[in-house]
Amino acid sequence: MKLSTLLLRIVLACAALMVLLPLLWTLLNAFKTNADLLVNTPKLIFTPVWDNMQYVLGRRSVARALTNSLVICSSAVAMGALLGVPAAYVIARVKNRLTREAQFFALSLRFLPPVAVAIPMMVIWLGLGFYDTRFALIVTYMTITISITVWLSIPAFERVPIAVEEAARVDRLGPYATFFRVALPIARPQILAAIAFSFILVWNEFLLAMMLSTSKARTLPVVASEMSQLGMNVPWGVLNAAVVLLSLPPLILLAVAGAGMNSVFSRKSTQD
Amino acid sequence: MRVGRSLPYVFLGPALLVLVILAAVPTLYAVNLSLQNRTLSAPQAEYVWLANYLKLFSDDRFLNALWVSLKWEVLTVSATMAVGIGLAIAMFEAATRRWRMILSVLFIIPVLLPRVCAAFVWKFSFHPLYGAVTWPVRALTGQTPDVLAHPWGAMLTVAFVDVWQWGLFFAVIILKLMEALPPQPIEAARIDKAKGWEIHRFVTLPMLKLPLISLLLVKAIESLRSFDLVYVMTRGGPGVSTETLDMYAYSQGFIEAGNISYASSMAVIMMVLTVILFTSIWKRLNK
Amino acid sequence: MATVECRNLCKSYGSHEVIRNFNLSISDHEFIVFLGPSGCGKSTILRMVAGLEEITGGDLFIGGARVNDRDPGDRGIAMVFQNYALYPHMSVRENITFALERAGTSRDEIRRRLDPVVETLGLDIYLGRKPTELSGGQQQRVAIARAMIKTPEVFLFDEPLSNLDAKLRGHLRVEIARLHRALNTTSVYVTHDQLEAMTLADRIVLMNQGRIEQMGTPEEIYSRPATVFTAGFIGTPSMNFFSLDAGEGRLRNADIDLAAPFPLRAGKVTLGIRPGAIRLVPEGTPDAIAATVERDEFHGDMRLISLNAGAESFMVSVPAATRLSEGERVLAHLDPASLHVFDAESGQRLGD
Repeated sequence: MKLSTLLLRIVLACAALMVLLPLLWTLLNAFKTNADLLVNTPKLIFTPVWDNMQYVLGRRSVARALTNSLVICSSAVAMGALLGVPAAYVIARVKNRLTREAQFFALSLRFLPPVAVAIPMMVIWLGLGFYDTRFALIVTYMTITISITVWLSIPAFERVPIAVEEAARVDRLGPYATFFRVALPIARPQILAAIAFSFILVWNEFLLAMMLSTSKARTLPVVASEMSQLGMNVPWGVLNAAVVLLSLPPLILLAVAGAGMNSVFSRKSTQD
Repeated sequence: MRVGRSLPYVFLGPALLVLVILAAVPTLYAVNLSLQNRTLSAPQAEYVWLANYLKLFSDDRFLNALWVSLKWEVLTVSATMAVGIGLAIAMFEAATRRWRMILSVLFIIPVLLPRVCAAFVWKFSFHPLYGAVTWPVRALTGQTPDVLAHPWGAMLTVAFVDVWQWGLFFAVIILKLMEALPPQPIEAARIDKAKGWEIHRFVTLPMLKLPLISLLLVKAIESLRSFDLVYVMTRGGPGVSTETLDMYAYSQGFIEAGNISYASSMAVIMMVLTVILFTSIWKRLNK
Repeated sequence: MATVECRNLCKSYGSHEVIRNFNLSISDHEFIVFLGPSGCGKSTILRMVAGLEEITGGDLFIGGARVNDRDPGDRGIAMVFQNYALYPHMSVRENITFALERAGTSRDEIRRRLDPVVETLGLDIYLGRKPTELSGGQQQRVAIARAMIKTPEVFLFDEPLSNLDAKLRGHLRVEIARLHRALNTTSVYVTHDQLEAMTLADRIVLMNQGRIEQMGTPEEIYSRPATVFTAGFIGTPSMNFFSLDAGEGRLRNADIDLAAPFPLRAGKVTLGIRPGAIRLVPEGTPDAIAATVERDEFHGDMRLISLNAGAESFMVSVPAATRLSEGERVLAHLDPASLHVFDAESGQRLGD
C-alpha cells in the first residue's frame, strides 16, 4: 500500500471515530450515576443504572413533550406531503415560467432566517389566541415541511421516464390515475426519503418551538434543553439520557430510509 | 373537453396558496411590527416608523452581532467546504466501495441529529472538569481548560460542532458527485502522469465547480440557522463574543427587554439581506 | 382493424411550425414506415396519431371517425415505445394485462388472451419478474406483448429497436414482420434505419423537414427516387452524385462527358448513380470515365473503391477478388439504365 493511501485511511478512520466515539460515549454516559459521570478521569468501566432514563421518561413534561413532538411533527409532515408531493409532480412535469418560479419560491423559503419568522409568528398567534398550541406550531412548521417536500420530490418525479406515463395514457389512464397508479409508485422510495427528511427537520427544530410555546405545546428539543437549567447543578446524566432519546427517531428514520434507498440503488435501473 | 386538464391547478394551487400565505403574512407582519414601538408587556403601541432602524445602527451590540454573524458564516462555510472536499477525496482515493458505503452512512449521522443534541454532546465533551476531550489536558497539566469561556475558543468550539455536523455530510455528497463524474477525463489525466492530488486539483474539482458552488450556497443558508448551537453551548457568551444576529434578536425580543418591535426590525434587516443576497446569487448560478 | 387518415395535419410549438399540411391515408392491414433523419417530424406525427401530442390543425381519422379530441386510450391504438416504457413497479404479467384490467375485461378473458401472446413472444418464464430484471430485448418483447394483447385497431411503433444492439435488432425485426403477417393489423412504424424500413414496410413514407419527401413501396423508393434527398438517403453504400451540364444529348463537366440516357433540356442537372451500377472496364471502352484509385476498402463480400476523376470523387463497388493498387488508373463505366437525373435547382427527378 502506498504511503499516501495509508495516510488518507488514517484520516478517514479519525473522522469515523469522531462520529462514533462521541455518540457511544454519550450512550454510556446516559447509564452512569453522577458519581461515575462527574469525575476527573473519564470512566469506561462502571455499573450501568437506569436512573437517568427513568427520570427522563418518568417526568410529566417529557411525556407531554413527546406527545407534542409526535403530534406536531406528524401533522406538519402529513400536511407537507399531502400538499407538497402533488405540487412537486406538477413542477416536475409542466415546465413553464410559473412552475419555475414556484420551484424557486419553495426553495427561497429556506432563505428566511428562522428568527425572522418566529418573531412575527409569535405576535400573530398571540393575537389570534393560538399561542402555545399545537395548532400554531403545526401551521408554522408547514412552511418547512411543504417547501422541503416540494424541493426534494421534484427530482424524484423528474426521474420517472415520461414515456412510461405516455404508455399509461395509451392504456386509458387519466392524469390523476397516471399520478396515483404510475408516477407515485415509481417515485415512491425517493418520495418517502423526502418525507422522512422533512420529519427529521421539524423533529430537530428548536428556535420556532421555543419561541412559539411556553408550556402546553413544548416539544422535546426545547424540554431537553431546559433540563440543563434544573436546580443549581447541571444534571449531566439526565441530559445525556435525554440526548440519547431525542436522537433516536432521526437515527431510526435514517436506518429505514437508508434500507429503502439501498434497495433502489442495488437494483440497477436499465430504463432511462 | 378531455378529463383531467384540471390536475396542474388542483395539485399545485393549494400548496402554492398555503406557502404564499405562510411566507407573506409573517413577512409583512414583521415589517409592520418593526415600524412600531411594541413590547411584550404593553399591548398598546404606536408607529415610530424608522426609529427602530436608526437606533440599530448606533447599537454597538447590534453591530457586534452583525460582525459575529459574518465571522460565523465565513468560518463555518469555509471549514465545512474544506472538510467536505478533503474527506470526499480521501474516500475517493483510499476507500473501497464497501468502506465508502459504511463511511457514508456514518458521516450522515451527525447532521441528522437534533442540533440541541449535538450541542450537548460536545458541550459535555469540552467540559473543563469532566469532559473527555479536555481530559488529556487535565491529566497532563493538571489545569482545567474552559474553551467556552474564552471568546475565540467559544467561537471555534461552536463552529467545530457545526462543521462536525455539516462537513462530514458534505463529504458524502461530494463523494457521490465525484463518483457520478465520467471516468474518462480522470483516466486521461492518469495517462498524462498526473499525481493523485493533481488529478483532483486540475480535473475533478474544476468539473464539479458548479455543484460545489451550489453546496457552498446551501451551507451559507444553513449556517444562518446557528441559533440552537449557540443557545445551548454559550448563550452568546462569553460576553457577546458569540452573539449572532438571531441570538441578539431573540434576547432583545424575549429575554431582556421583550422589545418585539426592535427585534422585528432586526429580523427585517436579516430577511432583506439574506433573501436578496441568496436570491440574486442563486438565480445567477442557475441561469 | 382500421384505416388511418391524416388530412392537413399541422403541428406548431408556439410560433415554430414543425409539421405543415401533412396528408396521408393508410389503408386497412397496411404496414407503413415513417423513415427520415432525426428531427424530420416523423415521431411527432406518430405521437399526434397516438394522441400524445396535441394536433394544432387538420383532422385525423381512425377507422373513419374523427379522433382529434379523443384521449390516447380511446383511439383504439397500442404503442411500442423506444425506451420500452414498461411500468417498473409491476411484474411482466401485470405490465401486459394492465390495460385490459383498466378496460374492465373479465379475469377469464384476460387469462385466455394472455396465453397466446406470451407464447408467441416466448415470455412464459419471465411473467413473474420485474422489467428491470430483463435484458433490453426481453423488455421490448414485453412492450410488444403489452400492445398485442389489446388487439388494437392500429399498432404504433416509435423507433422500437433503436436502443438494442445490432444482432438483437435484426432478430426482433424479423419477429415484428412475422407478427404482422399473423395479425395483419394496420401498423405505423417510425424509424431512422433504412434497413428496417425496407424490410418491414408495405409502403415507406420518407420524410424530410416536416414534409413527405416521397411515398411508395421500398422498391419504388429505391429504384426510382423522386428527389436528390431520397436518392441520397436510401441505399448503402450511398449514391454518387455529379453536377453536370446537360446539352446536345450529352452530360458533361470539366472531367466527365457522358451520353444522356434520355433527351434533356439544356441546363444544370444532378446525376446520381449507385456504386453498384458502375463497372470498371478495359481501356478503350467508349463513354467511360478515366479515374485514379484513391482508396480501397475491403467489405468482405465486396470492395468499395474510391475513385478520383479530376475534381470529382465517387465510389464503386467491385467484386472482392478485384485487386487494385492506390494511384492506379482505371476506366469506370456508368450503366445507362441505372442513371438518375435530377434538376439541379429543385432536386426533382427528371425523365421517368
